[in-house]
Amino acid sequence: MSAGPAIGASDKLTFLLSLVPFLMDHDRISVTAVADHFGVTPDRVREAVNLIAVSGIPGETRQYLHGDLFDIHWEELETNDLIVLTHLVAIDDSPRFSAREAAALIAGLQYLSSLPENADVDAIASLMAKLTRSASGAPSQVAVAGTDAGSTIAVVQAAVRRGVQIEFDYLNARGEQEQRLVEPWRIQSVDRDWYLRGWCHLREAARTFRLDRMSGLHVTMIPTSPRPLEAEQPEALFEGSASDLEVTVELASAAVPLLADYGPYGAGVPGGDRVRRTLGVAHFHGLKRLVAGLAGVVEVVGPIEARAVVRDWAAAGIARYDEPDDAGFDPLVGE
Amino acid sequence: MPSTSEKTSRVSVEERLFSLVLALIATEIGLTKADILSTVQGYRQRYVSGGDNASLERQFERDKDDIRELGIPLEVVEPPDDPGSNHHLRYRIPKGLYDLPADVSFTADELMLLKLAATVWREGSLSAESRRAMTKLNALGIDSSDPVLGYSPSLRVREASFEPLSKAMDRGQVVAFLYLKPGESAPRRRQVEPRAVVLFDGRWHLFGTDRDAAANRTFLLSRIVGPVVAVPGGTFVPPGEGQAQEALSELDALWNANLATISVQPGSDAAVRLSKRHSTDSPQSGEGDTTVNLHFTDLNVLADELAGFGPEVLVHAPAALRSAVRARLVSVRDAHTDALTTSTTEEGE
Repeated sequence: MSAGPAIGASDKLTFLLSLVPFLMDHDRISVTAVADHFGVTPDRVREAVNLIAVSGIPGETRQYLHGDLFDIHWEELETNDLIVLTHLVAIDDSPRFSAREAAALIAGLQYLSSLPENADVDAIASLMAKLTRSASGAPSQVAVAGTDAGSTIAVVQAAVRRGVQIEFDYLNARGEQEQRLVEPWRIQSVDRDWYLRGWCHLREAARTFRLDRMSGLHVTMIPTSPRPLEAEQPEALFEGSASDLEVTVELASAAVPLLADYGPYGAGVPGGDRVRRTLGVAHFHGLKRLVAGLAGVVEVVGPIEARAVVRDWAAAGIARYDEPDDAGFDPLVGE
Repeated sequence: MPSTSEKTSRVSVEERLFSLVLALIATEIGLTKADILSTVQGYRQRYVSGGDNASLERQFERDKDDIRELGIPLEVVEPPDDPGSNHHLRYRIPKGLYDLPADVSFTADELMLLKLAATVWREGSLSAESRRAMTKLNALGIDSSDPVLGYSPSLRVREASFEPLSKAMDRGQVVAFLYLKPGESAPRRRQVEPRAVVLFDGRWHLFGTDRDAAANRTFLLSRIVGPVVAVPGGTFVPPGEGQAQEALSELDALWNANLATISVQPGSDAAVRLSKRHSTDSPQSGEGDTTVNLHFTDLNVLADELAGFGPEVLVHAPAALRSAVRARLVSVRDAHTDALTTSTTEEGE
């Protein structure tokens, strides 16, 4: 029941406008029940009810007289923590969604529709149509194409539900392959990448695995142990990985945002519109891929071993093109 | 609120906004600005009769924008007998357009799905909008069925350009930004009418009309390398619904039309990552390497990605992709081949 990030006036206004019709539909309801329903603290409910009870319209007299204000049963609130709305003004219905609010939910639904159990396309389409009709303007044009999470997700999901452990071969970010026995806790995703968070018996620690790095997945009959609290926290996805190696790169100043994920910091200005930045990386295994994927944009200037690793990686790649191309390879075979 | 603390006022922002919404819903014919400033709670306390209310007027302008951002239809009505007169403009919120349509209702299952959809944006862009949408849904008093266990899907738009682009799109505002096109090494300034922002094949794309090219173009948000700024005086009429779907179907058509054939080293990062790519045809066993067919939308984007895999990938077709990947690898090798000192003097000027 966290109140979430800092609550601005817009959130508070939305809460007030939503609380009125809800209270209207509930003759007597406790502060805690309202707090549970809206997922806010009881204090926030009391604060809102206190404000609603003294609010209203200027009215004929322009003086905000008694009949122009909302009213509540004060004694019930003070002695029993119960809310009883006794007089209504101006509003009696839920407000519509804004164009962006509707768009946020619609895009969220589109994203969810790639999950195996939400594949009921008709149900999702009808829900999106309802949201569109419930918005005060055409929903913002934000859309998400279905991403196919593959068959792995369904297998892992079934294991999570049945509470059994899974076994798979895992290729880690350093390029090492190992067999893992894992207690699966939860499937998480960020954009098109899907992850499993769980307890790894090999490492004896909580770990996050990319689903696309798993192979030979199979579900065991071994039941999972009771989950620790940590298992319920989706935020634990990206624990900072060790980034002991510092690498200095040179690139056009305009291209720096491309490296935002690596926390670049300033390392001198070689002149012109070029800049140098220092990146923290866990190992050269990842660095060479990063730099080769940004050909012509990023150059490693040091340390010299890092330059050599990148050069060798690219050279090994080129060597493959200097071999004859699989004598008579026909790209159309087997399509 | 900045710069409006000249008079102490104990009326909170939300109380002022709430009172304004109530007053404007309660009026049929609308209230003039003078009516509002002199009578509505939160304004009237600071109103000087016959005096200078300029800062209060600016406050009202900002409040109007904030209220509209929440999807509340705040209307301006011109008096029929005095059109064009600023002084007699009236403001109101038509109740019929404020209320959720009477025939819209949600089942417990639908609500569960919507809750999950809202959590997709739990951080960053659109998270405030999702949160407010959920508050409004909660007003309906439906108890949702239990959320699906074991899932925690999220969209995390890393690109800073998402927010300004999507807002400009809603307002019909032409924007300008520096764009580093894949395959080019210097960014170019683009002026664009933003029409849709879509996630396709794991990448966020902007679909819009390029003002200089006078044609529709698709941009990768990750390649927008400077701030997105409004072009002064540049507005257009947002074409409304269907743009996002059009953008997606164009990308989908492109994706289907482009097919690359590559070999990947078994057990390598490339094999694991690429063989599971959405709708790749099933890999066939060759001698040693595994052959993978990959659909793609942009040759240069795919070439960048494949070059990153170094020797783990060999491109067979199309020929343009094969040479693009090889050229990238050559440029990376050459840029890292000279002794460190030589290369810095060459490029450091």
